[in-house]
Amino acid sequence: MVPTQPTLIVWTFVVVVAIGIITIVREPSRSADMMVPVLLLQLFAASSGFEVPARRGHYDLLLTSGHRRVSIGLVHWATSIAPGVVAWLVLAVVEAAATRGADRRLLASGTCAAMALVSTMPWAITVRLPRFSGGIGWLLVLTLSTSVLSPVNVPGPSASDIGEWIRPAWDFLVYPVVFVGCELDLGEGLIAAPALMLALAAMLAACRWVSGASVPLEAAQ
Amino acid sequence: MTPAAVSVRDLTVQYGRRLVFQEVSFDIAAGQSLGVLGPNGSGKTTLLRTLAGCLVPRSGDIRIGGLMPRDALTRAGVAYFAGDATLPGSVRASRWGSLGNGDVVTPDRRPIRALSRGTRQLLGLRTVLGRQPLGLVLLDEPWEALDPDAARWLETKRDRGAALVLSSHRLHDLAGFCDSYLFLLPHHAKVVHAHDISPTSPVTAGQLAEVFDKLRGGAMSLRAVS
Repeated sequence: MVPTQPTLIVWTFVVVVAIGIITIVREPSRSADMMVPVLLLQLFAASSGFEVPARRGHYDLLLTSGHRRVSIGLVHWATSIAPGVVAWLVLAVVEAAATRGADRRLLASGTCAAMALVSTMPWAITVRLPRFSGGIGWLLVLTLSTSVLSPVNVPGPSASDIGEWIRPAWDFLVYPVVFVGCELDLGEGLIAAPALMLALAAMLAACRWVSGASVPLEAAQ
Repeated sequence: MTPAAVSVRDLTVQYGRRLVFQEVSFDIAAGQSLGVLGPNGSGKTTLLRTLAGCLVPRSGDIRIGGLMPRDALTRAGVAYFAGDATLPGSVRASRWGSLGNGDVVTPDRRPIRALSRGTRQLLGLRTVLGRQPLGLVLLDEPWEALDPDAARWLETKRDRGAALVLSSHRLHDLAGFCDSYLFLLPHHAKVVHAHDISPTSPVTAGQLAEVFDKLRGGAMSLRAVS
């Protein structure tokens, strides 16, 4: 009941979806391009932050309601990512309608992997931090990665040894957009797997923290 | 003897390295009320938050109806309110009010931040006190910003069978209201029963101030005694 998203984020999603719908209807081949702003926004939407509002007492009614803490954390996560997931699904439906089901790039496994990554990792990272910190930190890592290492590339499945897998796996982790619109084959799936596993581990750690954490009131310390 | 609804033994809480209070012990029977008094920073809010299961103490034992605080939230029913500042400003008042037990507490559809402070305080109190069942009620400075009518309404809510813990740094708020008083002081805490302070009549703020001063070693810096 306590909104996890500022109204501005929700309205930005509405604008992005409206532009996406118009673009996809006119040029269905550009559907994957329309996912980029959705993923970027989702990065920030998912970085909603749990501890800061909890320490302000905003979740006291929930925390003393008798619901399991893990459930409270998962509902917080679900409400944080809901606008982005809805935006993604709307664009996917529009794409399917515009191409009469012939093109489903927005429901391809690469798009799903990218959406899963930006919907989980930022929430888990930001659970103890102020709102948007996860998104800001991620953008910083992406910027450093592209400027210090080299531009992000679409990972290829031709790697033959472990060293050649690390960079593409890192690229997917910091810039999940690289797989949007792709149906992942086994090689690409293996490239995406470490980031997704890391996201899962981060989610488990975040839920564990929510489950056992002390939540003092800011003013009481 | 009535079994304790709340039993606290040797409770010690600290934030990082800072000790808030140590070895606090008290019992409250069902239907009885405890007033927590102490200067700012003595740990009143922290104590209530620990009883509500929001804080994990460093040591000690808390039982609410024989249960650990987090188990008691589900089975015994605990209402906790820490003041109007804890309400999220962007939520509509009517929507927040329905979170207690689903009943409409107020038809006001304005965001909480648009309400006056007293109205916010009353909204928060009415929402948590709407919960059922209630084995324990924890109210942190509940009289803050309340007008006389709202304060009288709050007093009508005490005799509902639940154990009640109220905190205030103003002695006149709690005078005559509680069955016993917990004085939280920087290095020690002491429970004094109301009939030990005033055997024949309701406890006055002046009497609470006397006990407070005695426990503090005679220092006199009470603000709220009138």
